[in-house]
Amino acid sequence: MIGQMGAMVAIEYQRILIDIAMFFGLFVIVAMALNFQYGNAGVPNFGCAVSASIGGYMVSAVVTRILFWMGAQAGVGIIPYASDYDWVYNNQMNTYMMNDYLQTNMFLGASMFLFSLALGFVAGWALGYIISLPAIRLRATYLIITLITMADAAQILGRNIVPISGGTLGMFVPNVLAWYPGDRTILTAVVTLIIGIVSYFIIRTMLNSPYGRLMRAVRENPVTVNSIGKNVTKIRRDVLMFASGMTAVLGVILAYYYSFVIETNYIRATWTYWPWLMLMIGGPGNNAGTFVGCALIIAMRRLIIVFKWRIARFIWYPVVFFESQLLGLLLIVFMVFRPNGLIPEKLLRIPGINYKRLVRETTEVDWRVSRRKQPTEGDAKKRGGLGSLKFWGKNK
Amino acid sequence: MIIPVVWMSAITYAAMITILCLGFTLTHMTAKIPNFAHGTYAGFGVYVSFTVTRVLGYSPYIGFPLAIVLGGVIGMILYFVVVATLRRMGGGTIVLTISTIAIQIFMAQALHIYAYWVRENLGFMSYGFLLKQNDFRILGFQGIFPMSVIICATVVILLYYMLRRTKFGIAMRATAEDPQLSSVLGININRIQMFSWFLTGGLACLAGAMLPLWFMGSPTAGVRLLVSCMAGSLLGGLENIYGAIVGGFSVGMIEILLTAWLQKVVGLWVGEYRPLVPMILTIGILLIEPSGISGYIERWRISPKGQDFFARFGRSSE
Repeated sequence: MIGQMGAMVAIEYQRILIDIAMFFGLFVIVAMALNFQYGNAGVPNFGCAVSASIGGYMVSAVVTRILFWMGAQAGVGIIPYASDYDWVYNNQMNTYMMNDYLQTNMFLGASMFLFSLALGFVAGWALGYIISLPAIRLRATYLIITLITMADAAQILGRNIVPISGGTLGMFVPNVLAWYPGDRTILTAVVTLIIGIVSYFIIRTMLNSPYGRLMRAVRENPVTVNSIGKNVTKIRRDVLMFASGMTAVLGVILAYYYSFVIETNYIRATWTYWPWLMLMIGGPGNNAGTFVGCALIIAMRRLIIVFKWRIARFIWYPVVFFESQLLGLLLIVFMVFRPNGLIPEKLLRIPGINYKRLVRETTEVDWRVSRRKQPTEGDAKKRGGLGSLKFWGKNK
Repeated sequence: MIIPVVWMSAITYAAMITILCLGFTLTHMTAKIPNFAHGTYAGFGVYVSFTVTRVLGYSPYIGFPLAIVLGGVIGMILYFVVVATLRRMGGGTIVLTISTIAIQIFMAQALHIYAYWVRENLGFMSYGFLLKQNDFRILGFQGIFPMSVIICATVVILLYYMLRRTKFGIAMRATAEDPQLSSVLGININRIQMFSWFLTGGLACLAGAMLPLWFMGSPTAGVRLLVSCMAGSLLGGLENIYGAIVGGFSVGMIEILLTAWLQKVVGLWVGEYRPLVPMILTIGILLIEPSGISGYIERWRISPKGQDFFARFGRSSE
């Protein structure tokens, strides 16, 4: 069977690789954002799906409208899209014509892509404030309950409000990368991976800065951080807002990859549970673990989907149930047998600090202490009764 | 006596949510985690009713004791295999919470597989069914309407009696209060925890078994109850079992009655947004009074006003 699988991989090599790279890029962003929140600041965000969906909704509700308006101004034969009915049923025709127009207009496409990324980030950032409002100052339990509730609420709103994303029918969005002559998916995958790398460096810089150390302090002991005059609630909220913005960027890219937005693309199981699974398998607190966990889960999932009919011969029930069961079981197995994940957290490495010197200095301090003669009970007695009293009093 | 259908529906639903809330709050009190697999227990109850009624051909009420046993056994297995193991490994609140979500996903798939098996092999329509016609009729009502109220009241009274009057219940409350101290006093914490998970699972499964007699049953029917259940537990205050009764019943009533009223006033399209009602309630409760009704009463009791009130009846506020 492995030989057959290898042959299949050789034939469909390119497509599978692009698919895996694309989804790795997508999930690594959300997993890194989650690691930023939970692994480093201790904010248990179970609402990644909300942030991802706001990115998708921004593309379908705002960017698509702007593009249609621009197309109408430029003389593309855009048919009416103002009412709910027209918005859904003329959507395919409009998108088709916009794609034709965008093929020739590289500048518009690229600038709209960048604009939608920025819009997604800002929308996610603002949404982070809203979703953190009820429960960020309360215990973790309340925050978890609120955020899970919000994820369902985002889906209900997306399903029922037609102007957002076409309700239950979904919406096609114009292909802003249509100017690229080759395979669109390759370009999307490359762009996603680049965004992933950029966000990795942003996050690494933030974690190595004093703010990153503050975040870790909040995770370890919020009471102490509060007592030295830092606003723990504000730090947690800022972290949640930033990570929510990053997750929204991913929602934007997903919308462009599918060229389609529907609320079921952003379900809670996919966009909240799987990033958590990746984080827990890789080990929370370090980015290397996140990468490993993400690569493992994505490769497993995509291979199960691609080789579905081969696996289906061995199981009597649909493979999709098997896949979900496997993912559910994996977390519990990992939590029981490897509670710290594949790569446990290490000490934070801060550039510009000479660790060797730090270690040497502490040893020198130790040497001096041991060389100096330690005061003993005999010394106190020699100094007289009062002195010994003083000595004991000090220690008390 | 004529009771509007909406009110009957609301009372039946509220009774179900109350039973669910009792379990959710009990888990949160003893294990200190929100159990997101709670809705899926109810899903198992739905399929117990389905199997007893459609496949075996008996009255759905025969399935209720079976549902309690099945749910209890599932809860106990989960406690042994997952929760107790992770506790021993030193897993914190977050790890346990995410593992309950993993359990939820695993068990929901098990339900899907069962429904698929029944449909393929036995030929019953198992992905969306209603058992209303299998119910008995009493005084012109559907049987489930009085039965749900009776079952809910019985559960509440039995639970009250157990927690207040029996030694085992007092030990349970002590464990919820302070596990270490109660283990010093010679209480077997493991047994208490196991029993509380049995009780939670059994109650949730019972609530689920009542569901298809009035509402549509499907593999995801149980999970949909979870949001209302969480809202009810929050309204009651997560630290108090009696709060769950008040909170669960009010959330269930509000959800159905408010939606029905809004449908009359605003338009039929409001019905789509019914799940938003408990969500808005959740957010409102957290913004106004995070500790819920029981927390509010507790605060009032130790305030000067409350002390005056109790002093008038010659009782201390403690």
